Amino acid sequence: MSNPLRPPAAILSATGLHAGYGAGDIIKGVDAELGTGRIVTIIGPNGSGKSTLIKTLAGLLPARQGEIELEGRRLNDLSAPKRVRAGIAYVPQEYNVFRNLTVLENLKIAREFMGAGRSRERVLDDEVAGLFPELAAHHRTQAGNLSGGQRQMLAFACALTVRPKVLMLDEPSAGLSPKHMSDVFDKVQRVNAIGVSILLVEQNAREALRISHTCIVLAGGRVRAVAPANEVLGMKDLNSLYLGDATLH
Amino acid sequence: MTSYLVLLGIVVCFSAILALALNFQWGLGGMVNFGLTGFYALGAYASALLMLKAGANSFFAVVAAIAVVAAVCAVVAFVTLRVTEEDYFAIVTLGVGEMLRLVALNEDWLTRGALGLTGIPRPFGDVIAPEYYQYFLLALAVVLLAATLWFLGAVARSPFGRLVRAVREDDVVAATLGKNVLWIRVRIFAIGGGIIGLAGSMHGFYYQYIDPTQFSNIVLAYGFMAVIAGGRGAHRGAILGAAAVMVLLEGSRFLKDLVPALDSDQLAAIRIIIIGVGLIALLIWRPQGFLREYRLKVSP
Amino acid sequence: MLQTTFNGIVTGVIMTLPALAVTLLFGVLKFPNFAVGAMMTIAAYMAFALNAQLGWPLLPAAAAASVAMGVLCIGIDHVTFKPLRERGGITLMVASLGLGFILENIARFAYGNSARSFAIELARPFRFADVRMNQEQMITIAVSTAAMIAMWLLLTRSPMGRAMRAVADNPSLALVRGIESPRVIRWAWFIAGVLLAAGGVLIGMDRALEPPMGSNYLISVFAAAILGGLGSPLGAFVGALVIGVVSELSTLVAPPNYRIGVPLCAIAVILIFRPQGLFGQPYIRK
Repeated sequence: MSNPLRPPAAILSATGLHAGYGAGDIIKGVDAELGTGRIVTIIGPNGSGKSTLIKTLAGLLPARQGEIELEGRRLNDLSAPKRVRAGIAYVPQEYNVFRNLTVLENLKIAREFMGAGRSRERVLDDEVAGLFPELAAHHRTQAGNLSGGQRQMLAFACALTVRPKVLMLDEPSAGLSPKHMSDVFDKVQRVNAIGVSILLVEQNAREALRISHTCIVLAGGRVRAVAPANEVLGMKDLNSLYLGDATLH
Repeated sequence: MTSYLVLLGIVVCFSAILALALNFQWGLGGMVNFGLTGFYALGAYASALLMLKAGANSFFAVVAAIAVVAAVCAVVAFVTLRVTEEDYFAIVTLGVGEMLRLVALNEDWLTRGALGLTGIPRPFGDVIAPEYYQYFLLALAVVLLAATLWFLGAVARSPFGRLVRAVREDDVVAATLGKNVLWIRVRIFAIGGGIIGLAGSMHGFYYQYIDPTQFSNIVLAYGFMAVIAGGRGAHRGAILGAAAVMVLLEGSRFLKDLVPALDSDQLAAIRIIIIGVGLIALLIWRPQGFLREYRLKVSP
Repeated sequence: MLQTTFNGIVTGVIMTLPALAVTLLFGVLKFPNFAVGAMMTIAAYMAFALNAQLGWPLLPAAAAASVAMGVLCIGIDHVTFKPLRERGGITLMVASLGLGFILENIARFAYGNSARSFAIELARPFRFADVRMNQEQMITIAVSTAAMIAMWLLLTRSPMGRAMRAVADNPSLALVRGIESPRVIRWAWFIAGVLLAAGGVLIGMDRALEPPMGSNYLISVFAAAILGGLGSPLGAFVGALVIGVVSELSTLVAPPNYRIGVPLCAIAVILIFRPQGLFGQPYIRK
């Protein structure tokens, strides 16, 4: 069933992407798109290459084959710091804050090297503070001394200090209590609402899909399916998706 | 000229043995021995002292040197069992090596300190005529090198060697074995240490005179250069590497004739600079870097 | 004993600067740099050339040598360590060993083995509370303290200082926060070069200038940095003082030639039982 309206232009796209750590490739020929202003969630079993894909998009891993484009601009040759400055923010799953620096220093660093003052809007302190009130009290605490949930919030906040075009989150809810989890997804929606396109990798598939527009299913390093999120939500058995058995439009 | 080549050959042999030991401890055991120089000195002094002060014959002295250094290495490996980071282990061994050198320099009553030990007897020195002795020593050195090659290769191919490799490559295996894993490290380090002791005693036979200045970190540099220059192929590598390094060392002696304007201090300085440059150049341009593993099918 | 303690404090204070350099370089580059001793030597001789041979007063000579060393270190890194960046700690350590040989022997080639001294006016030593001190020692304490404070300010208040701490904490995260590592590395080497030059000049003032002058301190400096915790500037300061004082005090109970046994044992004990030292963070090698 095709959508009669033209789909929104993709702000971030990967075409035929191959990448890996050692001898073989972990992701093999991945095509993925993030529509402008959308929330896209990538789901898949462990070892399917979700983290590898995100790391390759962020520039931490070289793309062995394929293209990565941001708003039509080819990113392959840009180093990770340059990609960040071009507008792709990334929050890794673990070790995502500087533990030996205070909360305030983490936030400062996130801004200082972003070459802001060019054509990018700066997120005002107020906006970030408004999104993350729980951090305000802990400015002088060392990030390593925060609780798991607070660290996740800090990592999230750091990625937003200079408003990115695209925000990529690798399992933001991992290891969080249900309360914190829904807090995270709530914030994701609010960030999206101010105009940031979001690419999410998630194990807690259902929670993430509830707030997403589109779902990409990754298994064995390949894209098995791409579908509107609510369709995938409606499916009782996600496993068949992973195996590529189910048919979706 | 022949005489010169024979002497060079002897030096290449025991340098190669030293390189093999370094390679063994590092390639198989994952332990980089930055204290190589100190253990080498320990072997040389142990062997020389036993012959000079206790009247031991050369065979006994060599065996004892092997045992002494192996034992000290075993103790070091045991005490540092918890230091699993390569870098930190290297720093600790550097410290141990320095300590050994310090003892050699300061314990005059035993080692005659800076004066050194002279008149070290050679194996069968009384029996073989002086004009033929160097050939004998070369033959002996080659035999010992071959024996070392065979022995270390045999250890690498043995069930013990396979166990060591399995432990290093697979964390699950290591976890299952628990405490035993740690003893493996001790044994590897001790075996390598014994070989270092062998090389040390040969050093004494060759020069017949040892003093602390012979045991500077240049020795460590030679060891690494031989290992790096050798590259892949455990055996041929170390020998080729040692030969290359010795050629470099000996070759730079001829600088003196080329540039008479420099005094001996300056020439010595230039030689060491060449060694340093050579070491770095080898590291950069030898893409294999250090030899990292003994393969089961080691090329001869 | 008071005199010995004071001497130990002075030694410790001298070692603070190179210990800071070691800890900074380890934090940013992730390997122990064994050439720092020889770097101090070369810088000291550069100051000597300006001071004793060209007639500059010591302070401008030292300042010029410091800047020159900073720049030289950036160049050395570019030629020697950059090609080896991906290869791991041992390779870099061995390269630094070779570099140490080269630098020390350049000094030996240029100036020979005999001891030299800076051209400074001799001032009479004075006594304070039964302890003999001289002017050089006072200058040493003043300079080192000033350098410590400057380093502290740099690391905590400036963006580049924060960036260096960030890279030391988590290099890949630093990348995705927009920090370009080549720039941080250049700054780290420049600052290390300045610190090492200052340390070298202080050693030259305290003792004499000879080719092994820097390497003689290598083990002690590393012990200081390790005791304090590799990567922790405060640790470098505390560690240097502790090692300095304990080493000097050890001469009261053991032969002076074994003074170096103190840092050697410290290194072994700390790396075995508490590798992160007093103030360091356990480093997770990913």
